Amino acid sequence: MALLEVHNLVKAFGGLNANDDVSFVIEKGELLGLIGPNGAGKTTCFNCIAGMFPPTSGRIVFDGEDVTGLPAHEMARRGLARTFQVYTAGGDLTVGENVLVGCFMHTRSRSSARSKADGILEQMGLKEFRNQLVSELPVAAQKRVTMATALGTDPKLLLLDEVAAGLNPSEIEATMAGIRRINAEHGVTVMLIEHVMELVMNISHRVIVLDYGRKIAEGCPKDIVRDPQVIKAYLGERYVREHATEFGGSAIP
Amino acid sequence: MEAIRNTLDFSDFPKTDLGVALAVLVFLFCFPLFPHSAFAMATMIQFFIFSLYGMGWNTIGGYGGQVDLGKAQYVGIGAYTTMVCLLRWDIPFWVSMPVGACLSICWSFIIGYPLFKLKGHYFAIATIATSLVLKDLFEVWKFVGAARGLGILPYKYHPPDYWRLIFKEDIYYYYIIFAFFIVGLLYMNWFRKSRLGYQLRSIKDNEEVARSLGINVHWAKIKTYAIATAFVSIVGSFHAVYIKNIEPEDTMSLDISILIALMAMLGGAGSLWGPVIGAGVLIPLKSYLKEWLGASAGLLGIDLIIYGLIIMIISAFEPRGLWGIVEKYRRRRRK
Ligand SMILES: Nc1ncnc2c1ncn2[C@@H]1O[C@H](COP(=O)(O)OP(=O)(O)O)[C@@H](O)[C@H]1O
Ligand SMILES: [Mg+2]
Repeated sequence: MALLEVHNLVKAFGGLNANDDVSFVIEKGELLGLIGPNGAGKTTCFNCIAGMFPPTSGRIVFDGEDVTGLPAHEMARRGLARTFQVYTAGGDLTVGENVLVGCFMHTRSRSSARSKADGILEQMGLKEFRNQLVSELPVAAQKRVTMATALGTDPKLLLLDEVAAGLNPSEIEATMAGIRRINAEHGVTVMLIEHVMELVMNISHRVIVLDYGRKIAEGCPKDIVRDPQVIKAYLGERYVREHATEFGGSAIP
Repeated sequence: MEAIRNTLDFSDFPKTDLGVALAVLVFLFCFPLFPHSAFAMATMIQFFIFSLYGMGWNTIGGYGGQVDLGKAQYVGIGAYTTMVCLLRWDIPFWVSMPVGACLSICWSFIIGYPLFKLKGHYFAIATIATSLVLKDLFEVWKFVGAARGLGILPYKYHPPDYWRLIFKEDIYYYYIIFAFFIVGLLYMNWFRKSRLGYQLRSIKDNEEVARSLGINVHWAKIKTYAIATAFVSIVGSFHAVYIKNIEPEDTMSLDISILIALMAMLGGAGSLWGPVIGAGVLIPLKSYLKEWLGASAGLLGIDLIIYGLIIMIISAFEPRGLWGIVEKYRRRRRK
């Protein structure tokens, strides 16, 4: 059953169509990758789905309900959570307090919000950092905080925007395991934007490729990496080069 | 039950904080029992009044990060409601005070809706504007005494009048506002760890993130603004019966608005003790300077010089004020 349907999504900024007639479906329980070169419109697509701004045209159906144009907090209440590509909590909230904010979405009770936050901190390996400011943490832990905060809202669908950017291989490994656990054990449907191919190709059930705002390919990872259009637009130079240097040429499909 | 427990829960503060707070409270409780000048007494009452204004401001301005420079309009609504009710219809303080708070809250919703469509400096300037407009209105409104304001003639009453809060000696006012102070402090202690409290801090940090966590940012701000307003209005009502003479130029001036915000920021915006510390430093400073320099203080613009200095110091050294310095020091020592 489809959890999210995106129909002919267009988002225009001035003359530029950051998303141009994009359509796709996410099934319940799926782990969907979204890739494409910088500026392809991936984050914009997330923003439209999450209600950060309304799409210029097109329709978004979430869990059977037409949610096109609903504001972000309404989307969150319906079970959509997301992380942000560029965000380090600069405020005076500690790690524990950050996670608590998400946990307060469904309850007013402090004790139940707190015990839920405790569980999530434990699960995400953030317990030792709970009283520290987010800005004092290493990058990998900061990324985990944004995921933990989003998880506090009990999402049905979690949108992850480049959560592995800037991490080293062992941290990427851990993040990958974490995302798998969220998806498999907690039954959260996940859609992730990622430039780290090792991660996205390894864990995604299906991958969508955007280029200049348009969807140019969709399919399972092993077909995507062989797709000539995808290689030309995105993987070609980049995948091969990154692969050779960062991962020592280890063989992924 | 849980609400009571949360109100009294100070467990996240270190023992030294609680020790100091307790010592200060004992001092404040005992102060009138020791010999003191009428001037010192008046200064202490001003300290309580401004602490409470500051606590109210701190909800939206400190935790929510929305720099509100228009709190004087709610001092005015509270003070005028109580004054008009007493003089026209002989309605006692304990009735007019909640009525004033309700009127203030209604007004805060009306102007809050458009105000919070604005951000940053635009918001701050708009709050000043709304406050000044209301003041101008009161200055020409005959029903409330226009520019000359309203005054209570104490000899018409029989002090001590606990219903109308008309007393001859300041000590009565002292203990009443002291009780308000305790209640205010306990409310703020409840508020800072409430759902709304955390939501505001999230909004202050990053509104986009707050929205994505299910927070209706606009509504959360309006709600909090109403809470801040109620605080200020209630204390404004008290101010009216205590001072016994109110006029728009005094009660609703821009000076009051700025002093409220500045005090809270000096002490530490977004912390429980901040407004109290700010009022504790600034109010005595202000009234003793006035006392020493006499009438010339106003002419010299000493107040403004002090305000200016404080703004510079806060923005240059520690945006979180005096309490921010303490916390920074503690954080460093823990490492
Ligand atoms: N808020 C915005 N206002 C104007 N242009 C935007 C905005 N957000 C994104 N864009 C533009 O839309 C295009 C797609 O951006 P984005 O979705 O961030 O790409 P990606 O995440 O795939 O790197 C870019 O050309 C970018 O400059
Ligand atoms: Mg992006």
